[in-house]
Amino acid sequence: MLTGAIVAGVVFGLYFTLVGLGLNLVFGVMRIVNLAHGDFLMLGGITAWAMFSGFGFGPLVSAGLVILLFMAAGLPLYYLVIPRLLRSRDSEMLSLILFFGLSQMIEAVTTISIGATERSLPPRLLGVGPMVILGTRLPKAWIFSAAASAVAVLLVYLYLYRTRLGTLTRAVMVSRDEALATGIDLNFVSAMAFGISLALAGVAGVFAPFILGSITPNMGVAINITAFAVIVVGTLGNPLGTLLGGIIYGVSLMLMQTFLSSWANLLPNLLLIAVLLVRPEGLLGRKTRRA
Amino acid sequence: MKLKALASALSAALLWAGAASAQTAPSEIKIGALYASSGPFASISMPVYDAFKLWVDQMNAEGGVMVAAFGKKIPLKLISYDDQSSTATAATLYNQLITQDHVDLLVADSGSVLTSVGVPIAKEHKQFLFDVSGTGAAFFTNDNPYIALMADPVSTIWPHYISDFLADEGYKQGIRTVAILYSTNDFTGTQAAALKGFFERDGKVKVVYYQGVPTTTSNYTVLINNIAALNPDAVLELGYVGNDIAFLRNLQDSGNQFRFVFSIYAGTEMDEIEKNVGTSAMKNIFSYVPASNYEYKPEFGMTSKEFRAAWDKKYPEGSNVHFGANAIYGYMAGLVVQRTLETTKSLDQMDIHNAVFALSGKLKTLDGTFTLRADGAQIGEVTPLGQLQPAGGDKLDLKAVYPPELANGKAVLGK
Repeated sequence: MLTGAIVAGVVFGLYFTLVGLGLNLVFGVMRIVNLAHGDFLMLGGITAWAMFSGFGFGPLVSAGLVILLFMAAGLPLYYLVIPRLLRSRDSEMLSLILFFGLSQMIEAVTTISIGATERSLPPRLLGVGPMVILGTRLPKAWIFSAAASAVAVLLVYLYLYRTRLGTLTRAVMVSRDEALATGIDLNFVSAMAFGISLALAGVAGVFAPFILGSITPNMGVAINITAFAVIVVGTLGNPLGTLLGGIIYGVSLMLMQTFLSSWANLLPNLLLIAVLLVRPEGLLGRKTRRA
Repeated sequence: MKLKALASALSAALLWAGAASAQTAPSEIKIGALYASSGPFASISMPVYDAFKLWVDQMNAEGGVMVAAFGKKIPLKLISYDDQSSTATAATLYNQLITQDHVDLLVADSGSVLTSVGVPIAKEHKQFLFDVSGTGAAFFTNDNPYIALMADPVSTIWPHYISDFLADEGYKQGIRTVAILYSTNDFTGTQAAALKGFFERDGKVKVVYYQGVPTTTSNYTVLINNIAALNPDAVLELGYVGNDIAFLRNLQDSGNQFRFVFSIYAGTEMDEIEKNVGTSAMKNIFSYVPASNYEYKPEFGMTSKEFRAAWDKKYPEGSNVHFGANAIYGYMAGLVVQRTLETTKSLDQMDIHNAVFALSGKLKTLDGTFTLRADGAQIGEVTPLGQLQPAGGDKLDLKAVYPPELANGKAVLGK
């Protein structure tokens, strides 16, 4: 049971790395909290469901289209909202209010448009049946979803550490003021990060039916809480720390389900409290945040 | 002497009739109801609410409901609020319906979670609560006359056909051990505890796994693997719609197989589950057989076929409204309200109580026979145990397999 819980937790945690990655990227670059992140994930799932229902597209095709669509939506949304927000006195706090409002709007409009019931994609699209890893039977869909998450993490890493725009992004993450002083186009760098963040949320949404069973318009809040726990554990503002946070969350959840199942939903809150008490800068954090 | 008694009876009857006519008939009967258009309980709440609205519209199209207390038909006014699946919001809104809107009749939201907050509020305000489908056993106590369960049986007796079947047919076919996995809420928690008690009482089938998980649980892979490690013959998963979708998907994906698998909503909200998990994951799953899949002979109200036709007319395909057991429950609540108004002496809440309880054992509808225990728990509309069996092609048929007197199919256990 213990080995099974750990193996499943690592795979499950990889998916939650993908869920938290975009949220952390936005916080790292802009120092704002996107409380609508879970709702963008939900929209990614709804888009995949609509693409399958309307055109028969599988999740891999949908994931590609969702990346393009959500990037395209993220750029104008950034220019519409974020620069004004960042000019305010307390942008971190105001971002909570603004994105909470956006979250409510997205949930309400989605509910009105398609109803409140569960939507999903057929399990067969990612293969029915188990794969055995270290003696643990895991759904093929989990393995595919975890693999997609790993690819996304790798791409974000390559973007941040192997491209010029990524280098500029890391410079902004270290200090916006110094980046501005050196002539970096803060808005462009931030807009790209915001677009990538939405695209990551969207891709996580495409795979959500295979990991979470189904998509509902109200799922955003719960996703946000979990994603927030993941990035705080892994270190706020450090996108790659999300990987560690995700895996710790996944393994802890599976251990809780195995040995103390009734209390499993307390886990994100317990992790948050524990990290904030013991190591508030996160497990990979330093006293000063660094990219 | 006989003449004297007759005269007394006549004068008492005249006095009562005079008192009734002396009451001023209201221009409308105000019915307060809650629904959840969003949140985790929307999928069981909206069908109840939509069906109840269908009944209200039907009544109003006929000029209202005959109210015995006033000897005339009176239109219905439905005052309803959206609690968004939040118990805190629901508590505020139950209070508002009673204290601000002064509704004549109070109808609870669907399911035990959203009903739970309404029970003490209704009791405190001495307002009778038409509990549509809140089956939690704790709601029903002998010191609270202000509640009755309308449309499905109280959780402590609902699952008894499952344990009866396993101890009877199942035992004969080699079922010896069972795993019970339930969501920790009033609805499924009570059923799980009742089942465990039944198995322990009968002493034939041993419970080898008994675990609760939060109602928000959306992945069951590790739980299923843990259950499989104990190798039980039967697995009973008791959850809400979202739980059942995740469980059935994960069960199929995990490749684990058990001889008997039960899920509540695979049968009761068959369309919804099938849409999300596909028929292959539902094949041979056991479930309850609701009235939407079983033809009772009603003596009052529409038959299930007539109701389905009325439903499809009002909510055509694409309207994002789903038909299932909860739709039946909503209509059933309407029928009880109708018969209550047709027989109550007044709109006083204890008279409402008396009228509702007087229907017990006499009201036969598309949901079976409405029978109340003294504390308001429903004990009549017990659903048979069913199994989703292949019906050719990619279709499944929900067959009632137990008890024998209600069965229209034979159970097939896995090997």
